Amino acid sequence: MAGDRYTIATDMGGTFTDLVLEDRWTERVHIVKSPTVVDDPIQGILAAVDLAAAEIGIGRRDLLAGTDTFVHGTTRALNAILTGTTARTAFLTTRGHPDVLLFREGGRVDPFDFTRPYPAPLVPRALTWEVTERVGADGAVVTALDEAALVAQLREIVAAGVEAIAVCLLWSVANPAHEVRVGELVEQHAPGVPYTLSHRLNPIVREYRRACSTVLDASLKPLMTAYLEDMKRRLSAEGLVGRLLIVTSGGGVMDSAAVAAAPVHVIGSGPAMAPIAGRDVVDRTTGHQTVLVTDTGGTSYDIGVVRDGDVSFTRESWLGAPYLSHMTGLPSIDIKSVGAGGGSIAAVVSGLLTVGPRSAGARPGPVCYGQGGTEPTVTDAAVVLGYLDPGYFLGGRVTLDIAAAERAIAERIAAPLGFTTVQAAAAVMELATEHMVRAIEDTTVAQGIDPAAAVLVAGGGAGGFNAVAIASRLRCAAAVIPDTGSVLSAAGAAISDLSSDFAAACPASTHEFDHDRVGAVIDGLVQRAREFVASTGVAGELADVRLFADARYPHQVWEVEVPLPTLRIATAADVEALADAFHKMHEKLFAISDPTSVVEVVGWRVRASCRTRSTPLGQVESGPARSRAPRSRPVHFPGHGRFDAVVRAHDDIAAGEVVAGPAIVETPVTVVVVDPGATATRASTGALILRRNGADR
Amino acid sequence: MTQENQKTQKTQKTQGAEGTGGTLDGLQLAVLTSRMEQVVRAMANTLARTARSGVINTARDFSCCVLTGDAQLLATAESLPVHVMRGPDLMAAYTAQQHPDLRRGDAYLHNSPYHGNSHAADHCILVPVVDPAGRHRFTVLVKAHQADCGNGTPTTYSTSAVDVYEEGALIFPAVRVQREFTDVDDVIRMCRMRIRVPDQWWGDYLAMVGAARIGEREVEKLAADVGWDELDRYAREWFDFSEQRVAEAIAGLPGGRLTLGGAHDPFPGVPDGVPVSVTVDVDPAAGRVSVDLRDNPDCQPCGLNLTESTSASSALVGVFNSLPVSVPANAGSLRRVEVLLRENCVVGIPRHPASCSVATTNVADRVTNLVQRAIAELGPGVGMAEAGLVQPPAWAVISGVDPRTGGTPFVNQILFPGVTGGPGSPWADGWLTFGHAGNAGMMLRDSVEIDEIHHPIRVAQQRILPDTEGAGAFRGAPGALVEYGPTTAPLTVSYGSDGAVHPAAGAAGGTAGAVARQLLRRADGTLQELPVSGLVELAPGETVVSESCGGGGYGPPRTRDAASVAHDVREGWITPGRAREVYGVAVRDGQVDEAETSRLREGVSEE
Repeated sequence: MAGDRYTIATDMGGTFTDLVLEDRWTERVHIVKSPTVVDDPIQGILAAVDLAAAEIGIGRRDLLAGTDTFVHGTTRALNAILTGTTARTAFLTTRGHPDVLLFREGGRVDPFDFTRPYPAPLVPRALTWEVTERVGADGAVVTALDEAALVAQLREIVAAGVEAIAVCLLWSVANPAHEVRVGELVEQHAPGVPYTLSHRLNPIVREYRRACSTVLDASLKPLMTAYLEDMKRRLSAEGLVGRLLIVTSGGGVMDSAAVAAAPVHVIGSGPAMAPIAGRDVVDRTTGHQTVLVTDTGGTSYDIGVVRDGDVSFTRESWLGAPYLSHMTGLPSIDIKSVGAGGGSIAAVVSGLLTVGPRSAGARPGPVCYGQGGTEPTVTDAAVVLGYLDPGYFLGGRVTLDIAAAERAIAERIAAPLGFTTVQAAAAVMELATEHMVRAIEDTTVAQGIDPAAAVLVAGGGAGGFNAVAIASRLRCAAAVIPDTGSVLSAAGAAISDLSSDFAAACPASTHEFDHDRVGAVIDGLVQRAREFVASTGVAGELADVRLFADARYPHQVWEVEVPLPTLRIATAADVEALADAFHKMHEKLFAISDPTSVVEVVGWRVRASCRTRSTPLGQVESGPARSRAPRSRPVHFPGHGRFDAVVRAHDDIAAGEVVAGPAIVETPVTVVVVDPGATATRASTGALILRRNGADR
Repeated sequence: MTQENQKTQKTQKTQGAEGTGGTLDGLQLAVLTSRMEQVVRAMANTLARTARSGVINTARDFSCCVLTGDAQLLATAESLPVHVMRGPDLMAAYTAQQHPDLRRGDAYLHNSPYHGNSHAADHCILVPVVDPAGRHRFTVLVKAHQADCGNGTPTTYSTSAVDVYEEGALIFPAVRVQREFTDVDDVIRMCRMRIRVPDQWWGDYLAMVGAARIGEREVEKLAADVGWDELDRYAREWFDFSEQRVAEAIAGLPGGRLTLGGAHDPFPGVPDGVPVSVTVDVDPAAGRVSVDLRDNPDCQPCGLNLTESTSASSALVGVFNSLPVSVPANAGSLRRVEVLLRENCVVGIPRHPASCSVATTNVADRVTNLVQRAIAELGPGVGMAEAGLVQPPAWAVISGVDPRTGGTPFVNQILFPGVTGGPGSPWADGWLTFGHAGNAGMMLRDSVEIDEIHHPIRVAQQRILPDTEGAGAFRGAPGALVEYGPTTAPLTVSYGSDGAVHPAAGAAGGTAGAVARQLLRRADGTLQELPVSGLVELAPGETVVSESCGGGGYGPPRTRDAASVAHDVREGWITPGRAREVYGVAVRDGQVDEAETSRLREGVSEE
């Protein structure tokens, strides 16, 4: 019997493995950061577990034995794809269409820049086989499957030393018979080789996207199966009896066995959870339902959006830069990432200041770390501006070299721009702010969100530098710094839902709606969703099953996902409600609608979510005690000038207390800059609320 | 999970300024540039997501830009080069001139090829951005290729029209289409009577106006933040900065003057083809480039004539493609690049009623190709080979009636990925889905399944063709084959494909790409050559086979990295025979046979 005292959530990134430990008996949360062990990530996770166990004064085995849920987010799958270490995979496609993965869907960036190479297909042409068969758009068989030829091809595939097989035939979503049969023949003639059928994994129209998800899934199967089995075995050996759950790109969690069967779902496992955490904290802190959740890392700035209480999804998840890489083909939590973080390098090029996307990374890191960095970064600017206490960085574990940071800014930024050193540092910070604002606006504009009605969540170690500045530029109602802000994704993982999506392509129109056909499809999806809910063992009242329509106006090609109030579309009134919901959503997203137009539905999706808990996450346990004497230091605030700012320790601020800027609030892992004219209030949730004067909503 | 584009060596596209000399510093210039680009991105996003026709919402055959009140091109974000470099400025100026009473709430529909537009099928919506004092400060412009524009035949590219009357499109020379944010219904009704599938057009119109209004709103917000006069000052300084940048880039080019000639293939109305000559004059010391297009034939009795917009833009694209660094295209940088045009010239300023129906692609691509190849021939490390020519049946305008929906009519341009043609450059191999010089690979391409839902067609095959690339140190993209036909009802296919006679030439020692061709496959399987341009009616059971051009190669093929040649062999892009004969690389079992390759390449210099 698993213990029921602890929940552990880990988020394994490229540099650090974050861990959130919740102790339900004390209602306290402990956060830990430990270096990721690239060669043996599970060892890195166990090291983080050890740190957490030490913090509460018990041993590793006792902690794991007392844990009922161990949630794991990992960049393992994405890293394997980006480093080309996934399985050698064969791609089976419809005869005549070998280049689906090569052609992609077109697109390029920077019309006058010809230095970038065309992206290689996810599976080389040399490992692509054309299956003689064809199904039409209406599902009718146009060319029968040539089984004899396929069997011969499977022999070639086995001989080619293939480790996984991906099958994506045209219109398998309209009639899966051929793919199903290919699957049977694979089992017969390539026994033991893991394979993925596109219509089962991702039944969407658009062959390139479906093929991408299919080949990614197949190519990850051997690796992820081994990784997850190893993890489960080692954690069990160390005493874990509770459930091992893996974070998905969709912002939910899945049982590790289910992930091994469809590993494509964990490609975005890393940052997907930050919006979940941000939504939760803001909901409990200010009550806002529209939230811009940002996470400032060393090299990147990640943005996710919560809109009317729902985390935003995207259909276009790219593995790398848009149009220069490939899509996963599956919906995922919409995380936009730009190259602007604490380690982003500032430079002056032809007289113009630039910040990022180049980054000093973890090594050499910012100049002030004294690890050999020579190019000034955003963090160096923060040091020059006086944000950081050189003796209390990362809780005193690192001493910052202020003089080196000043020298780098003076020589490389101030001199060429004709600025003073402080002006130059302020300019670096302002431009970093501008890049972040632009990235947020890309998202808000695309989704028709008014930032003035939203709260900004600033997570990450450098998130507090310019949270007020960003929120001001966007005219946000407030900025919130959660007490779990430095480990936002892990905090989200700790509270995430067990979830699964069930989708089907079944075109319908509000003009002559085919109730019988659509009803059968939706009923089937709902049935599968309910079976999933039952399989989780979660109490029925914690389960939520919702129906979504992928709808559009006639001739549009990009569908809008519309949540529907019911799980059936049985009556004319239900159809009317669907159309109405679509018009409203279209108006909201794009500022126009065409209420007289027919609405077409391309596909249906049922999402089952099972809450794994019914109580909110507790507050973070304070760090080591430190001086509570009132302090101040000179700080330069961009746009305001130099002030003697009061410096407060986060854990020394009482709930409800208002700290007026100019001020600096320090925690062991971050600093929060409170500009003149702004205030910081510590909420009962442990979060800091930053507001500009006059913006007191 | 996505990462912002990482810039490589050819960098600093939007940022990089001479902060000195003006009142704005290097920070302010960078910030305002970022915000102005953001306005354009917001417009583009709105249009792409809401348009009804595939040519806009799938292929993104559209552009958005912001111009100053005095009609200078300020921000274009990631628009199609041939749409915006010259033309929006002419249109904005013409609109202001025709409408001295323009005011907030107005919108203008403009597609006149004689007054600054690219071609009649590109509808533009211009919205003046007016400050509270009533002063016209900026113009936002949305340009989008329509699925239909009312031409005499169901195509937006009338290759054979002898004049604008035969072409048949409705022409709107800066016609007011909104006042007080409300449609002028007279214009809407005219369009509905003349444009095929009017509901599709109406949906696209709503999307275009919506995008323009978003742009207007965003500029107003920006002005509310920083002030109108500050924005004016920004524009002036950004232009000066951009001019400086392009001058520096030109200073790095090899100097000289070169005249290159080429020709568009014979087409209806031009049985000998259209000879095109460009003279490029690069003066690195002065930081100036000039392109002279005046020594060319008069307007021709066909749809191939360029407009003033596309004549100049196509030459400018060739210059900007050739620069060793990426420079922002705006009124400032364009001060340093002069294009000399004359009236009544096939690549110049058309004289009404010459038809310019095909002005954005065929002959325009010839101009771009010649300019970038000429610069490549002036010296090493700059310029580019020629890109593939278009538009083959794989990019046809298709029309008919759809039996699946009770015989409703449809018309739309389809844009399959299998039109390739990327040119080799000193920096990389040709981009596979480049398409043609005018859009430079920026367009998105159709999904087979989506096209089969939207139209009663079936795509039999689509694949790259081996040994069709222009060979080079950096090779061109290979050509591709697309075969499709109707499912159950006749299908009209309209196309006009250059590149069957004159291929995309290589540069600096690279070879030409393969030529295009198109065939009709009869129901009995026999193949029949189709003309280079025409309107073909296919019966169910018949298909059209479209082979696109390969892109030209850059640099001597025998200096190509041998491992890359072996890769191309393994991947079926080229055959082992071609690797050996053209590239001098022996490939055995997918790997380079080093000894044999050295022997084959003996005496070939590496530079």
